[in-house]
This record gives sequence, structure tokens and C-alpha cells, in this order.
Amino acid sequence: MRPTWQTSCVVDTEPLLRLTGLTKRYPGVTALDDLTVEVPRGLIGLVGANGAGKTTTFRLLLGLAHPTEGQIEVCGIDVAADPIGVRSRLGFMPEHDCLPLDQTAADVVSTFGELSGLPARAARQRASDILDLVGLDEARFRPIGGFSTGMRQRTKLAQALVGDPELVLLDEPTAGLDPLGREEMLALVARLGTFGISVLMATHLLDDVQQVCDHVVMIDAGRLVVSGTTDSLLERTGFVTVDVGAGGADLTAALASQSIHATWADGLVEVTIDSEVDLDVLRDVVAELRLPMYRLTSRLTSLDDVFLRRASAGAGAGTSGAAG
Amino acid sequence: MSFAATGDEGARGAVYDRGYRPYDGPRGRRGAATLALYKASIRRGLGLRRAWRQKVAPFVLLAVVTIPAIVNVGIGYVTRDQAFDRIEIITYRNYVGVSSALLLFVALVAPDVICPDRRQRVLPLMFARPLIGRDYVTAKVGAIVSILFMFSFLPQVVLFVGNMLVSTNGAFDYLTENVDVLWKVPVAVLVLSLQYAVVGVAVSSLTDRRIVAGASIIGMFLVTSIAAGVIVGEDIDRSGGSLAALINVLALPLYLRDVVFLGQVDPEGSLNGTSGGGWLALAAYLVVLAAGMVVLLRRYRWVER
Amino acid sequence: MSTDVAKFDGSAGSQDPAFVADPTVTVTEVSVWFGAKVALSDLSCSFGAGVTGLLGPNGAGKTTLMRAITGMTPVNQGTVTVDGHNPRTDRRVQQRVALVPEDEAVPAGLTARQFVTYIADLHRIADRAAPERALVAVGMIDAADRPVNSFSKGMRQRTKVAAALVCDPRVLVLDEPLNGADPVQRLHLIALFKQLGAQGRTVIVSSHVLNEVERMADRVIVVIHGRLAAAGSQRAIRDAMDDRPRHVLVRGSDVRRLAGALVGLPSVSGLTFDPVRDGVVVETGQARDFAMALPELARQAAVRLTEVRALDDSLESLFRELVQ
Repeated sequence: MRPTWQTSCVVDTEPLLRLTGLTKRYPGVTALDDLTVEVPRGLIGLVGANGAGKTTTFRLLLGLAHPTEGQIEVCGIDVAADPIGVRSRLGFMPEHDCLPLDQTAADVVSTFGELSGLPARAARQRASDILDLVGLDEARFRPIGGFSTGMRQRTKLAQALVGDPELVLLDEPTAGLDPLGREEMLALVARLGTFGISVLMATHLLDDVQQVCDHVVMIDAGRLVVSGTTDSLLERTGFVTVDVGAGGADLTAALASQSIHATWADGLVEVTIDSEVDLDVLRDVVAELRLPMYRLTSRLTSLDDVFLRRASAGAGAGTSGAAG
Repeated sequence: MSFAATGDEGARGAVYDRGYRPYDGPRGRRGAATLALYKASIRRGLGLRRAWRQKVAPFVLLAVVTIPAIVNVGIGYVTRDQAFDRIEIITYRNYVGVSSALLLFVALVAPDVICPDRRQRVLPLMFARPLIGRDYVTAKVGAIVSILFMFSFLPQVVLFVGNMLVSTNGAFDYLTENVDVLWKVPVAVLVLSLQYAVVGVAVSSLTDRRIVAGASIIGMFLVTSIAAGVIVGEDIDRSGGSLAALINVLALPLYLRDVVFLGQVDPEGSLNGTSGGGWLALAAYLVVLAAGMVVLLRRYRWVER
Repeated sequence: MSTDVAKFDGSAGSQDPAFVADPTVTVTEVSVWFGAKVALSDLSCSFGAGVTGLLGPNGAGKTTLMRAITGMTPVNQGTVTVDGHNPRTDRRVQQRVALVPEDEAVPAGLTARQFVTYIADLHRIADRAAPERALVAVGMIDAADRPVNSFSKGMRQRTKVAAALVCDPRVLVLDEPLNGADPVQRLHLIALFKQLGAQGRTVIVSSHVLNEVERMADRVIVVIHGRLAAAGSQRAIRDAMDDRPRHVLVRGSDVRRLAGALVGLPSVSGLTFDPVRDGVVVETGQARDFAMALPELARQAAVRLTEVRALDDSLESLFRELVQ
């Protein structure tokens, strides 16, 4: 589902975010600790554990909080020097409910467009375009108070987009949505990439990140764990998983006789592949045994594995830090 | 992106992809955002772009407040051919006053414009934009001042124009005789509006519930008014005036109104006799405004220190 | 669409998957309505030891069902029994049932420990060490003496789970318990729930994150529009939908040549080339026949198979099909 990232017409070598030694301390807790990372344009996932302070991060990016130490550059602008300029280029979709309930979606999005600095007519026009984009049709002329969770989330996203931002900050955009709503929201987020809008999506669902984001930043207890492209983090292991229904035991034995190591557990056979030729042997053995090949997949690590492996050992208790 | 295809006979067709149109037009910053918030707040206060229910209160109150003007003009019209002096049930000075209608109006409109932003947690969305705390306060106070000004000024206009038209001396003569009214009324109304707006908005900013805010506004005005009345009553010296009258936040703008209209503090009022009464009233007025602004700037300080 | 997904052949020993052999909680023809809105409509199912996932779109009746099971909501028609007794009226049974709702305020000013102890006292739990144990089980022991109001959402959820555990419930009902938990906390909680299920408790969990439900639950119950839409283990449900067309992605060394051969198979009802996934998507109404024919055909065509995967295999696609 991840689109290949298209650069805009002007070649942009400027990284989207550049954090240098970013530290934020509150009395009693350190929310962010010496974060240094450069993040390219595109769809970025921000994942944190142990009070990792994603709220703090957003506030710092918006210039609504001052770092204790370090610097932040957003789209090439130093946040400390020009917070207003940064906010002009950002869109923000909070996790909590934040919309006036007695106004219509069209009115709200249009007003927020004006608040982003657009002239009234342009704001109305863009509001209409964006509401089309997020899929709110006639509902846009009804008061937000009557909206379902899915519609509210879409309206929240619309107000973040109406100012034509370079970067939108999304805080748990799929929270509260049922599986279908979640799919639709993720599809919408993925589309933003094709429009040249970068996205920084903070989420607890690694699955969302794996599906949509091309780059991942992981933070644990305020420290940077990893920052890299999603593809580079997902490795191929040397195993393939095969599902042949009830014949797993037979398959395992037959493979062993061909010097291919396999284990059978939970109805699936895990086969060690040393070279690609082993795949042909596997195929032939299955055909010989007249077993149904329901599934053959390379076992990829998931971001869950990556996270678990690299997050600190104290993560199991998960109790430090109140920020985030 | 668009796709053009050439048909067999050389006819051309094209498909235009609507996609996403970036915005290339002018983009304002703090000033534009503040102005937009100001306009949006006025719309909210007057119930525009919302259900009809929200428009009832403002416009009913406007009608109520305009009635004395209409009655006055009516009487003037009916008695214009009589020989005796014109009966005026209301003077311009008195009209810049505190009617319960106006008080009710502030207690209704200010909370409605201020509290929902906090209660519905809209503020984070606002401050994620090119807008700082100061701008927010300016826009909101400005909106309430504008609304209050309009509501106190419109009836005055009705009164003046009405009086002009029914004047026994003729409209133009009336105008030249009452030119000073043309500046006194706006100034006095502005002084009044500014005070009530700042107090109303400041009190509303302290809570996120409209009813609590409304009740507190009314309460605050009444309590200070009553307290001042009691203290002044006790402190009978000279011609019944007392410094304690300055506590009466409700009436403070009225002392200044009297200064504007009469050049001095009202001889029959509670402040009479205190030396420099007019200046003290002005000082007290500015203190109240300053206190209100301090409260507001703290309540809307969204950037962590 | 038919809600009768569960197919059983009526032979001895098999039964309707909506019911378990040794139920703790039995729901019989239950209907609940609030004014004009029907929340549950003639629903029958049962729950037993282990973890059961409760799925459904927002507003489908899941929360109402959970509240009916724990006796918090009366049923207008039908019966709910826990260990044979009515949870709404029987005090002893109420002691053994615990509900962890999605959103509920905790009394202000209490620390985690105080809150859990308070709940323990409410239920007159004699064991003084129970609160401590519960807090350890959910991994909140380090933060036990901090006020609950200072917690992140995930930590608050875990505290509430501890409060539910302290009464040593036989039936534990949790509404979106992973909401707000970071990835590490989520894995911890999933492990905890599986452990509780293994201890013989009846654990009912509702969640929108289907891949987590897959991991936690032995069995799922799907409620749509207040009615039972599907029941059973995920595999079983999938198998019960065997005659629905399935889409299988096949990738290999020379997919076009393989496709040419596949077209000839009677079990293949459609074939699409998928450039994004770099393979061919086969539509089949006879999954097993196709799976059996595939390896042999690939061998004959000398095409190396690198991936065979049913695209509708996940709970997600199952859900999508059921809802539409």
C-alpha cells in the first residue's frame, strides 16, 4: 500500500525535520533526551514507548514549548527563531475531540482556513476541495455534533489540510475507528504523500506504520531508538512459512530426507532456505506428496519485532515517565 | 495532470484529474489570523451561521434596548405641535446606561464566545496556527467590544435621528444645536463597552462552562454594586459621596460618562464631593481594564515558558 | 447477506460455534433496546474459559452486550446467565464478574495503589496482598504510588485492569483494553490476557485492532447491527467461507508463463496481473483444489514459486466481507 515517494517539481534536499541534541526536561521527568535525527520528506511514523513524549514532541515542533537544550528545524526553519513561520507550514490533527459541535463541518473548516491566513474566499474554496478529498459529502452541511467518530476524524484531518501545509502532524489518526474506518483513514494518509504533503504520524499501532509509512522514528523513554526507512528495518530472515493443511508432518519428514531443515508447529511448517534452489525442492516435494499449497511466504520481521528487540530492557514494566 | 486522446477522426478529448490543488495565493500571518478570529467571534456572538435559536437572544435584546428610543421619539412626534416643552423620557446621557438588558446580554454573549473554545478543546487547534495568546485575546475582546458598542450605539442613533425628525425647530437646527452629542455619545458608549467586554471576557476565560461564567459576570457586577451602595450609605459625609463608590465596577463607566457629558462627576451621584473624583474614576477604570487583561493574557498563554 | 456463516454438519460431537461445550456465560435470545434504537437483536451465544474476542463496527452492540453480561444493563428480552445465575440480581455472581469499560473516570487524587485497594475494599477482599499482586501482574508496580490522574491513557487502562483483577474474577470483560497503550505495553497486556485465559478464566476482549485479536483470542464473536454475524475460531470462520471466492497472490520467477498454465485450471475463475505486488492474483471458488494443483503446475512449467498468499486471509478482510 505504500506509494513510492514522489518528489515535488522543485528538488528538495532539505530534510523535513532536523533535531539536534534536543532535550526537554520537566520537573521530575525527562521527556526527551539528547535527540539527534534527520528525517526526510515523506510519510513518517513516530512510535514511542515508556512515556516517550509524543505530545511533547508535537508541542516542540509547533513552537508551543521551548526545548531545554538543543535545536529543531522544520522544513528548514529554526523553530526557536520563527515559530509563527513554522506554524504557517504545519497542519495539526490532535488525538482528542477538538471541534466546535454546533457549527457545520463546512463552516468550521472554512473558518480554520482563514485562521491559517487564507483570504475568506480562498478559504471557502479550499474547504470545499478538502472536504471532497476526505470524503465528506452532504454531511458537511450538518453540525458536527451529529457526526460519527469516523466523520469527526475526517473533519479533523480536513482542518489540518485546509491551509495547504507542507507537513501535517497526526496524533493517533486511527484511534477509535473500527477496522473499516481505519483502512479508509490509512488510505487517505497514504494519498497525502502523493500530493506532496509530508506526514508525521504518531501512533501506537506498528501495523499502521508498516502499512503506510516509508520512514520510522522510534523513541523509548525519551531516547532515540532507531530512525530509518521502513524497508530497511524489515529484514528477510532465512525462513519461509508453508501451510499445507494437515500434511505438515509428512512434509517435514520428506524435506528432511532432502537435507532441508524444517519444523512443524501450530499447523505451519517453517523451512530453512539456504539458497533459492531450495524453493524448487520444496515445491517439488509438495507436488510429489500431493499436498495443497495454501501458503508460502518469507518470514519477515515485523516492526513489532524490531521494536521489542531494540527498546530497552526495562520496557516490560513500562512505568517510567508520565509525559506522553 | 491531464490525459488527452485523439479519436479516429482527429477529434480530441481530454480527462482532467482533479487531484489535489496546492494553494499558491497570498497567505497572511498573525494579522490575518487575528482578523479572521475577530470576524468569526462576532458571527458567533450574533448567532450568525448557526441555528435560528442562537439568533433570538441578541436580536430580542437589541429590540428591547431600542424601545426607550422609539417611545421617546413617538412622544415627541405626538406632542410636536403642542406649546409646552418637549417631554423627554430619556436623554442621551441616561441612555448610555446600564439596563438589565445589557447586563444580561454581556452575561450571555461573552461566555458563548469564550467558553466553548476551552470546553470543546478547540484552543490547541487555534494555537497551532500563526496566532499567539495576545492575538487571541485581542480578537475576542475586540469582538465583544464591537458587539456591545453596536448594541448600545444603534438605539442612540435611532434616538438622535428620531429627535431630529420630530424636532419643532427643524431637523437641521436640531443637528447644529446638538453637535456635541455626536462625539459624546460614541465616546461614552465606547468607554462602557470596553469595560463590560473586558470584564465579561476575563471572567468567562476563568471557566469552561457558559452558565457558570454568565452567573459569575452578573454576580460580580451586582455584588460590587451592592457593596458599594452599602458602604457609601454608611459613609455619609459631605453631600453623600464617597470614595467607596469606586468599587462599583458596574457604575465605573458611568462616572466617566458623566465626565464626558457634564464635564464633571455627577453632582447627585455617589462619587460627588470626593476631591478629584473624575480622575479617580478614570484611574479605577484603567485598573479594572488592566486587571482584566492580565487575567486574559495568563489564561491564554499557550506557549510553555 | 447471510449471517449463517457457521456451518456444522450435525454429526455427533460438533455444535454451533457460537456456543462452547462448557460455558461460563450464556446469552440466550437477548434483545436490548434504548427507546427506538435496538442495540441487540435476538442474540444467542456462549463464552467459556480462555480468551474470546468480540468484534464489530462502532455502535454495533458490543458495549451493550458486555454490559448485559456483567449485569450493568438490563435485557429487555431473553436471558443472560453467568454460572447459571443472573448477573443482574445475584450478588455472588456479581463478585465473580468484572468489567473494564473503555472510558471511566477514576476518583481524583488517588494513587494507583490506593485506587486498587479501594476497589478491593469495596468488594471486601480479605487478602491484603491482592492489590499488590494485581499491580505486578499488569506491570504498574513501579508507578503504583503516583496519582492516576498523572498517567497516560495506557497506564490508566492498565490500572483499571489491575482493579478488575484484584477481585480474582472468573469472568473478565474488557472494552478496548489496549487503547492508548504503547507497543511494548500492548504486547505485555496481550500476554497477560492469554495467561488469564489459560488459568481458566473467561476473558472477553473487544478490540478494533484485528491482528492483536488474532494473537490473543482462541475464538471470536462478531456482532453487526446488534446481531450475531459470525462465531468460532478465525480459521474455522475462514474455512466456513470456503465457497466464497478467494483471491490468492502468486509470485515467482516467470509469472506470465505460470499464469498461462493456471488459466487452464477449472478451479480458477479469474486472473489478474498485479504490477504493484509483482505477481498474479488468482480468483478461485475452490481454494483447496487450486492449492493442490498449483505446485504440480509450477513444477511442470519450471517456474520457481516465491510467494503464495491468500489476500483475504486476515481477520480484516473477513470483517470487511461481513460488514458489507
